[in-house]
Amino acid sequence: MNTAGVSFQWGLIWDNRGILLKGLGTAIIVSFTALILSLILGLALALARMSSRRMVSMLASSYVNVFRGIPALVSVIWVYFGWSLLFGYNFTVFEAGVIALTLLYSAFFCEIYRAALVAVHKGQREAGLALGMTRLRIFLSVVMPQATKIAIPNIGSMYIGMIKDTSTFAVVGLVEVVRVTQNLNSVNFQPFVLYTAAAALYVIVAFIIDFIFRAIEKNLSSPPSGALANILTKKQSERIAVLIGKTYK
Amino acid sequence: MVESKRNKNNDYSENINSHGSEVLLELKDVHKTFGTKEVLHGVDLTVCKGQHVVIFGPSGSGKSTMLRSINLLEEPDSGSVKVLGKEYGPGLNGDSAVKRGKPLELRRYVGMVFQQFNLFPHLTALHNIALPLRAARGLSVRDAEERAASELENVGLLPWAGSFPSQLSGGQQQRVAIARALSLDPKVMLFDEPTSALDPELVGEVLAVMRRLAQTGMTMVVVTHEMNFAREIGDLNVFMEDGHVVSTGNRDFFDNCTNERAQRFIGSVL
Repeated sequence: MNTAGVSFQWGLIWDNRGILLKGLGTAIIVSFTALILSLILGLALALARMSSRRMVSMLASSYVNVFRGIPALVSVIWVYFGWSLLFGYNFTVFEAGVIALTLLYSAFFCEIYRAALVAVHKGQREAGLALGMTRLRIFLSVVMPQATKIAIPNIGSMYIGMIKDTSTFAVVGLVEVVRVTQNLNSVNFQPFVLYTAAAALYVIVAFIIDFIFRAIEKNLSSPPSGALANILTKKQSERIAVLIGKTYK
Repeated sequence: MVESKRNKNNDYSENINSHGSEVLLELKDVHKTFGTKEVLHGVDLTVCKGQHVVIFGPSGSGKSTMLRSINLLEEPDSGSVKVLGKEYGPGLNGDSAVKRGKPLELRRYVGMVFQQFNLFPHLTALHNIALPLRAARGLSVRDAEERAASELENVGLLPWAGSFPSQLSGGQQQRVAIARALSLDPKVMLFDEPTSALDPELVGEVLAVMRRLAQTGMTMVVVTHEMNFAREIGDLNVFMEDGHVVSTGNRDFFDNCTNERAQRFIGSVL
């Protein structure tokens, strides 16, 4: 292969920055919407899977085993074309993308939550019971905060995976990073330059997400640390200082 | 507000035992099996108001299980668990018609301190106490925090109100746990080997808090291996082995114990 005659037009990236970033924005909105939905669905699945009712637990674990195994590309085609053929209902590409990701990732989040919920020491629930708290309140105020802290790093990694999986939605016409890159390439024929740009965008976003999830993780550690924690616990710290100060002047 | 709630619960005065003191809690013929192993073979225990009960015996003798049956952290398979005259257990054979109270109600009267402290690691010392006050007593954030602060002061830890459990020593954590249980105005306090997870030099500060609590007249049921402490506060001493209450006695139990197995056990620990 002779590459000597090929010129790389790096300027193309800057010239098309608007449309590339817009594609990235679409990828982030689709994946973030799916993240929120699959966190909710995943938690519900985890609770179902831990249920003492065999039927409920079996249904949840079947769901996990089925959807964990389906690739995003297959999932989105199935949702986008399948529903249209079977039920005559046409999802928009945005909806199809969100639904496809939610179906897949709620299965992963189910497992992440389940592991995290099991990891909370049983003495924590017992203490809550002995203190006269209801099971619901113990779950919300004692177990979930600790489970979330355990789950957060995994949720972060999964979210990076979700953003990358949106690239396969180009196939149904979602104008995200890869689709934009394909379009630009068909006009300019600069695959190396344009796909390098696409790769760089994904990497930058992965770094940013990692940063955000680290901040959340630090805030959830005990004692909480970092700038986020300082802002969130400021009022509480002040109230405690006042209470201490009343006695010790 | 806390005061008024406390007074509302004082409607149990009909439970007077033969000695004229008020019976707070009563276990009768309590059985408990884990898998195929029966760990409680029908134990009885009667605790009167203000009494300090010490339960001791070798590991695996069912001490903790008996203690945990009192607030139904272990649900007995059969037998009676009466607190303030109300049945919370499955009941004795034959009186299945007895109306059972809900565990949630029972636990409002019974405080518990665990071997592993079980503080909530994601909350400050103050909020470890304030959370149950809000959740179980319905106090406002401000009232709960003020009450929590005064409870912390009682165990000498108010300056550590903003500390997280991971920043406290084991002894301090256990003192917070005691303050947390006391903040809910229990009628009786259960202690499940409260010093067993502590470094030796930290045991004293926890025992000091418990000693002071005993002096205030709080009814206490303590599972412990601290025989000197037991000798000091135990009004009723209960020796357990293999899921049976083998021997009980009052203050002079440790000196005039007639049961051979109990004697041997005391001799080996003291």
